[in-house]
Amino acid sequence: MDNGISTEKVLEVKGLSKMYKKGVYASEKVSFDVHKGEIFALIGPNGAGKTTTIRMISTLLQATEGDAIVAGHSILTEPEKVRKNITYLPDEAGAYKNMKGIDYLKFMAELYADNKSQAEEYTERGRQICELGDRLNDKIQSYSRGMQRKLLLARAIMSKPALAILDEPTSGLDIINALEIRRMIRKLAGEGMSFLLSSHNMLEIEYVSDRVGIIAKGHLLETGRAGELTEKYGAKNLEEVFEKVVTRV
Amino acid sequence: MRFMTLFKKELKEMLNLQNILIMVIMVVVLSMAGQGMSQAMEEGTEAMMEVNLCDLDDTDFSRNVVKFMTANLAKEEGSVNSVTLESDDYAKELKRLGVKNVLIIPKGFTDSVNNNETAEVRFVQKMTSLSAMGNQSTGSQIAVQYLSVAVKDVVYNVKQASGKLSQAEISFLDKPLKVSETTIVGSKSDNISSTLVLQMCSAQGMLVPMLMYILIIMSTNMMVNAVSTEKIDKTLETLLSSPISRLSVITAKMLAAAVVAAAQAAAYMFGMHNMMDSMLSSGGDGEYSQVLENLGLTLNAGQYILIGLQMFISILIVLSISLVLGILAQDVKSAQTLTMPVMAGAMVPFMLSMFLDINSLSPVLRYVVYAIPFTHSFCSSANVMFGNNTVFYGGLIYQVIFLIACLAFALRIFMSDRIFTMSLGVKKTKDKTPAE
Repeated sequence: MDNGISTEKVLEVKGLSKMYKKGVYASEKVSFDVHKGEIFALIGPNGAGKTTTIRMISTLLQATEGDAIVAGHSILTEPEKVRKNITYLPDEAGAYKNMKGIDYLKFMAELYADNKSQAEEYTERGRQICELGDRLNDKIQSYSRGMQRKLLLARAIMSKPALAILDEPTSGLDIINALEIRRMIRKLAGEGMSFLLSSHNMLEIEYVSDRVGIIAKGHLLETGRAGELTEKYGAKNLEEVFEKVVTRV
Repeated sequence: MRFMTLFKKELKEMLNLQNILIMVIMVVVLSMAGQGMSQAMEEGTEAMMEVNLCDLDDTDFSRNVVKFMTANLAKEEGSVNSVTLESDDYAKELKRLGVKNVLIIPKGFTDSVNNNETAEVRFVQKMTSLSAMGNQSTGSQIAVQYLSVAVKDVVYNVKQASGKLSQAEISFLDKPLKVSETTIVGSKSDNISSTLVLQMCSAQGMLVPMLMYILIIMSTNMMVNAVSTEKIDKTLETLLSSPISRLSVITAKMLAAAVVAAAQAAAYMFGMHNMMDSMLSSGGDGEYSQVLENLGLTLNAGQYILIGLQMFISILIVLSISLVLGILAQDVKSAQTLTMPVMAGAMVPFMLSMFLDINSLSPVLRYVVYAIPFTHSFCSSANVMFGNNTVFYGGLIYQVIFLIACLAFALRIFMSDRIFTMSLGVKKTKDKTPAE
């Protein structure tokens, strides 16, 4: 691929479907790829199937049809190996309120690390990423929403996974903190980490992502660079593209 | 107006599904307990009016006394069932005769009466339970009272016919009988009143069900909170997407809760052991303790372990049920409501075991109550003490099977998508789209 992004695929989603009730698909035959160092954003209205698709890739939900390959491992046959290569930050995710921030980072680091020194390395990286300083020694229940989100984001990227799946990564953050997070995501992508994002914030998506996938009513309707899509639909920005694509179905 | 608006809002919030369910369950439980108690009282009263009597003296006088006693009891719709004892092994004899008590007129009874000396009779009673209503027929008062009246009648008639009563005879008639009591528990017996034994054991009989109930409530809350908090605080998705298997997550949760529950069960058993030791050593220089030991009503280390084991299995059942209930929770309020089925399931056997001997209930009611797995733990100490081994071990096997079924169900839910899609309330589930 151009734009300095590797051709190596970190994620290959192949006809992924999820049926909750007979004949009712939350997500149907969704296919897309995410390359090494690429930031791919899934955008769509509420109930479009973004979270269902993300949850299937994260091995939380079982796919009804199709498969997804994460760093060479199938979500159907090797879910534990997939989980070793991803981190998932759900929308409105919480942390254990009775834990201190630093203990939460240690706890999560130990789940992802292969040994003690690696866990310490992850924790230290998480401590630096979240920039919470001495507040890390306080219990999470005393954190503001923004502080908690920064801690969770640090948790999601401290282990430098092959693919970080972030659902609404900057929700609840003020403008300054949101900008910092976006810059951080771009920096980490530049270092080779891949991201699968989901967001309602079109400005954020346009700024941060390399490619965009527009999903509505369970179907992936469009994929491409923000610039390509605005040109294709004769739109001023991604918001207009989104409106045109979504209202078409 | 404003006050009433506020009052209505508060009332509506407080009179929630949970409180209404508690009220309904309490009514059902108390009604069931009332029916059981009424049945036990009726059976107890009937048993008291049917006196099993063994006349070892077998003189004209004693036969006459029995005749008078039979006539007096018949007026109250009672009867005297004459039995023959073949040995002094009362436990064996009562088992052979299939009766729970017997009043014995010993040899020399007539001689004592003729000498105007208070005559001794023996009342032998078999104890089968520690519950308040389980030993309704316990006590010798009715049988001895009728015998005493019969003795007075016969003596009075005989003496009056032969002339005026002497002062010694009048004194004798004031207190013609002295009762010695023997209590049997299983195959063991001791010369003590069963009423006194029941009083000594009542603390123990009440304590185990109370401890069991507390443990069930605490374990339910512990596990429902552990799972529902993960779901409500949205930490579950993060945890399950980390490189750890769901089986490990569920095992860690169950094991941690089981360790806490086992520690609680062990601590309570140890505390109970100390409490019983202190209670029994405080009266009669250890005499009570000796009597209870003779009757097999004290628990040894092995029996404490058996009771603890049954408690532990009940707790594991509670934990596996609570795990599923915790998954259903959507918020703190629904998590509280979800503890209701376990609390209700525990409340029924708890209340019944406090007042009734469940083994003496009608077969249908007994099997219904025994189908609740916690019942076996509530009755464990009584079953161990009274040697109801079949009921105890049968209950233990049933509990293990129930536990395996509960664990399999919990595991199935936890390993599937249902952990994210299941919730309390049909309407809410329908309305909620699992996908975004």
